[in-house]
Amino acid sequence: MRLTLQMLISHGRVARRIGLGPESRIHMLRNILTGLVRHERIETTKVRADEVRFYAEKLIDYAKKGDTDEKAMKMASFWLTEKDLVPKLFKVLAPRFENHSTGYTRMAQIPNRENLDRAQMAVLEYKGNPFPPLYPVKKENELNLINQLLKGYREERARVPNIGTP
Amino acid sequence: MATRTACQVFRRRFSSAAAALHPSPAEIRSRRNAVFSREQERQRALYPRIEKIEVSLRGPGLDGTLLIMNKGMSTPLSCARHLTEYHVDNSALALVDGELWPLHQPLTDSCTLTLLTFNDSDPTLLNEAYWRSCSALLGQVLETAFKDDYTVELLNTLEIPVTSGAFCCDVVLDPQLDSWTPSPESLRSLTRGAQQLIHHNLAWEPLEVAPSVALEVFSHSRCKQEEVEQKASDSPKGTVMLYRCGDHVLLSGGPLVARTGLCSQYEVTAMHSLGQGPWGHHRRTQGLSLPLQLQAHHTIWRRLRQRAEKLVRTVNISVLYLTQPADRSLSAFQGLLDGCPDNCLLHVLPTP
Repeated sequence: MRLTLQMLISHGRVARRIGLGPESRIHMLRNILTGLVRHERIETTKVRADEVRFYAEKLIDYAKKGDTDEKAMKMASFWLTEKDLVPKLFKVLAPRFENHSTGYTRMAQIPNRENLDRAQMAVLEYKGNPFPPLYPVKKENELNLINQLLKGYREERARVPNIGTP
Repeated sequence: MATRTACQVFRRRFSSAAAALHPSPAEIRSRRNAVFSREQERQRALYPRIEKIEVSLRGPGLDGTLLIMNKGMSTPLSCARHLTEYHVDNSALALVDGELWPLHQPLTDSCTLTLLTFNDSDPTLLNEAYWRSCSALLGQVLETAFKDDYTVELLNTLEIPVTSGAFCCDVVLDPQLDSWTPSPESLRSLTRGAQQLIHHNLAWEPLEVAPSVALEVFSHSRCKQEEVEQKASDSPKGTVMLYRCGDHVLLSGGPLVARTGLCSQYEVTAMHSLGQGPWGHHRRTQGLSLPLQLQAHHTIWRRLRQRAEKLVRTVNISVLYLTQPADRSLSAFQGLLDGCPDNCLLHVLPTP
């Protein structure tokens, strides 16, 4: 190849370089994806989680075609290194996301790793997993004073509807 | 003209005699204060030696904590001070062995203690106590608001649910003020008086007294004495709870919260006339308040305040005659109660 300056500058290039090369990148992502299908919630570096996300969702799209489809089966058997997860994918994960069209995964950033590298970490999960939610929902207490006053206010408005405040 | 000067002469000559018959409100207040302090000292002197009691705490994150406190001297507030500043600032009432206990009342035995805050999972009891304290504060403001020439009588306040939208203080003013209706400016000045008390952050000191002491405290008010007698007959132990805020002693139907500083937004919204009662021209003063931990946005506050200006109707249920057998539930009569005008009496009699 011609050795140009453009080769050394990577402005605007979106493809990430992970591992030793493109093949190494696919193998690494395959391992992470297998872990995700087995555990349904994993913790890795932010960059790897972001890369795996695309492949995780595409895998579910393939799984939705059904296990009789040859292409789907080939994809599943390539991407899942532990073969006992192939039936789990087709029988558990695919039916779970029947009514979803996109967005089968969720990523949440967590504090950096404690090691020397201080890598940015993230949690990647398939939605509908049995664990407690990543972002806990804050429930408003119906019985506290201000809510009771508002309840009385709403009931009165329902009982005597005003003509309309000017 | 001559009669007018004669009247003035008589008034001046005999004003000292009149003052002896009707002491000024300031004097009445100081006398009540003195009796209260005396009784408080006497009750404190009942525990000359320090004895220790074990208080075990209940609550989120506190289960199993054991505190060694002094008998007759330590209050739930002192237990909270052993924990954190958050507990001191946010706890308004305590539950001692399942019974509501004001924060400043001394503990007498080893017990289990729960500190109640406004953000608990079930603050219903605390909400009722807060509503009661707000009406007590309103009563205190009304007693001190008028000039010394006019007498103010606070009547027995009924238990008002929080959902009714406003707390009430029933009051009978001097007969000279029968034709006076408060303008928005006067309501605003009453609000300012209440805000002053809140700013001073005065504690409501509880004291459990025998009815005779309570009758002595309220010796100048026949209406209050009747209330004392009624409360003494209602209570299981035959004692009456008095509360003191600053230098003002009052009677209450239930426990009050710890201090005035717990209220943040407080407004006196309206004063309605309820016609002639047994003590005179009966007036109902209404107000709205929210605690420090649950402040409302001004838009919400404005709507709640508009609602609080409307008259709050209460129904006195004393006795209902049941023709059916006693196991018939009272929910059947709810429809009757809804549309009733205030002060209507339904008679409830237990079947023999």
